Amino acid sequence: MSRKKRPARLFFIAVLIILIYFVLFPYPLGKEMVAKPAWVVNIAPTTDAGQPTAPAAADIPSAPFRLGASFGFVSSRGDLLHTESVLYQVALSSQNFVSFTRLGTDWILQDQTGARISSFSGHGYPLLSSEGSRVFNVKSDLAGIVELNSSGETLWSRDFSGFMTSVSINRDFLAVGLVNGTLLLLNREGFPIMESKPSGSRISVIFADAVSPDGSMVAAISGIDPQYLNVLRQNGSVPEVMAKLALPATFRREVRMSFSPDGRYLAFEGDGQVGIFDPSRRSVSWLSARGILAGIGYGQAGRYLGLISRAGGDVELSVTRPFAQPVAHAVFPAKDLYLGSIDGGLLLGWDGQLMRLDVEEL
Amino acid sequence: MRFSSRARKHVILVMAVTGALAAGPSAALDWPVDDRVLTGTFGEDMGDHFLNGIDIGGGSQEIHPVLPGELVFRYDEVSDYSSLPRGLGTFLVLRHGQDVLSVYAHMQSGTLGPEKDTYDVKDRVGFAGESGHAQSPELHFALYDEEAGSMVNPLALLPVLADTQPPMIRRVVLAVGDQRQVLVDGATLRPGRISVLADVVDLREDVRFSWPLAPYSIAVSLDGNEVARIVFDSLQVQEGRAVLGPRGPSRDAIYDPDGLIRCATLDIHPGSSHLRIVARDFAGNETAREIAFTVQE
Repeated sequence: MSRKKRPARLFFIAVLIILIYFVLFPYPLGKEMVAKPAWVVNIAPTTDAGQPTAPAAADIPSAPFRLGASFGFVSSRGDLLHTESVLYQVALSSQNFVSFTRLGTDWILQDQTGARISSFSGHGYPLLSSEGSRVFNVKSDLAGIVELNSSGETLWSRDFSGFMTSVSINRDFLAVGLVNGTLLLLNREGFPIMESKPSGSRISVIFADAVSPDGSMVAAISGIDPQYLNVLRQNGSVPEVMAKLALPATFRREVRMSFSPDGRYLAFEGDGQVGIFDPSRRSVSWLSARGILAGIGYGQAGRYLGLISRAGGDVELSVTRPFAQPVAHAVFPAKDLYLGSIDGGLLLGWDGQLMRLDVEEL
Repeated sequence: MRFSSRARKHVILVMAVTGALAAGPSAALDWPVDDRVLTGTFGEDMGDHFLNGIDIGGGSQEIHPVLPGELVFRYDEVSDYSSLPRGLGTFLVLRHGQDVLSVYAHMQSGTLGPEKDTYDVKDRVGFAGESGHAQSPELHFALYDEEAGSMVNPLALLPVLADTQPPMIRRVVLAVGDQRQVLVDGATLRPGRISVLADVVDLREDVRFSWPLAPYSIAVSLDGNEVARIVFDSLQVQEGRAVLGPRGPSRDAIYDPDGLIRCATLDIHPGSSHLRIVARDFAGNETAREIAFTVQE
């Protein structure tokens, strides 16, 4: 009988030793990342004239939002600095805005609290650079653009050989995609420092463009049958093709695309997915995204990425670390949507509510 | 219906050079709407650019392709995936043949229908509306020649609209430096270089209110010799600026802030002279203004 009990006792001792080993020498697991809501605010019904709802503090970061028929600015603490109803459209930057009517030609540049900065005129629609230091008038036929100074005077004007289908601006560069498949990169003076017409497709057209934060790279989605992702690097007047990748997509509309603030990668809409292009490897990895990509947001300068897409009445939110593991995922019904960045976090808006989402390591 | 690039360019060339408007070619395209009230013509001054197509009023109505074509680009004003301000409102672009695009703009939002790749002339692309920078429910229709890189006057290729109303030359103005004077018959002028400006509008009988349109062409002759001709047949971009024709004037060069058209710059010499300005519309109607003047010694 004692001979039968010995193996069981040995087994028990072995398990105990293993357990003690793991208690004494725990295996270091990877840190888990979680997306945590920092705050949620309701956007109160607004008037056309707009209302400052909290004093703006210069040392507290803030961000713009556009949600359905409202827009405004919110601080990183969740204080609404300004909310206003959209007249027809609004040109928004991180620092200022121009709210304009459909046929009006006189515009007012206002700051985050709605205070008037300057006024100017144009026959098209205003457009601001993302940080708000540059003001443009996009001509109403989409075949020309004018940059204005703070007094509303024309700095430069340029007409295009076809009408614009996409535009992106950073501090010093403006990329324009045309219906004839031409991609232009203009400098501060409006002079084209790069012109390219991506080839290889049966029909030439540009559906999206983006300029990297340092202006060294320009990306475009071009063509029909097949559709390509083109990433070009500025190399004098002759652009160097960094990548030209055929996409499994058949878009015939503008699509969303942008470089991360740290310039480490490029996010763009695919067909039911989102592509993440890594310039260092010149390759694309894919994330699934249902329906039409409605917004891209970056947290911590691009360390993580937020995506919202719309399919029918449902919205899919994904938060992920590019080239790594997903952080959060949710599907919910919503009509109005917004996704942006705020002080290292994501600013998510849906149906009258704004939420700051932070990604933290546990 | 055949629509070759060669035939198209031949049509435009013939019309531009000979001005044989009344005997215009058989139409290559179908009208995109049934109710055709022309409220904007190619080359009109839009404040900061030429109108690069035609505006067709007639209220909200179905829009059909002018030819069978393939969808290139579409945009609905209510979409939330675009960051580009859209003066064209809800619009759609079709490609026909090898290198011609047709553009249908200012359509009602939400009327583009489900996305599809190809369109027949019987298909509906949307409804005329007032999305974007439109003054009233209308269709802005434009044609783009990809090979030439130019916008083409659609009236050159659409079936001729009945119109017996000739353009009007309301006044002719001479400018010498900053000085201006209305030029009347029998005037006495000083010798030197002058600019000739004219207030020229086209009127149509189907537009029952005063809605001035751009004419198709303006020709200026001095003492029987043609010295200038402006033809609103195509727009190209030269050195970042849209110009009429391959090497014509830009909008700033042609349109005076007062709405006058700068027709010609002339050197006038002592003696009697005779200025003739002829304005034509696309239906072939013509108006001429003859002015005799004397240039002092």
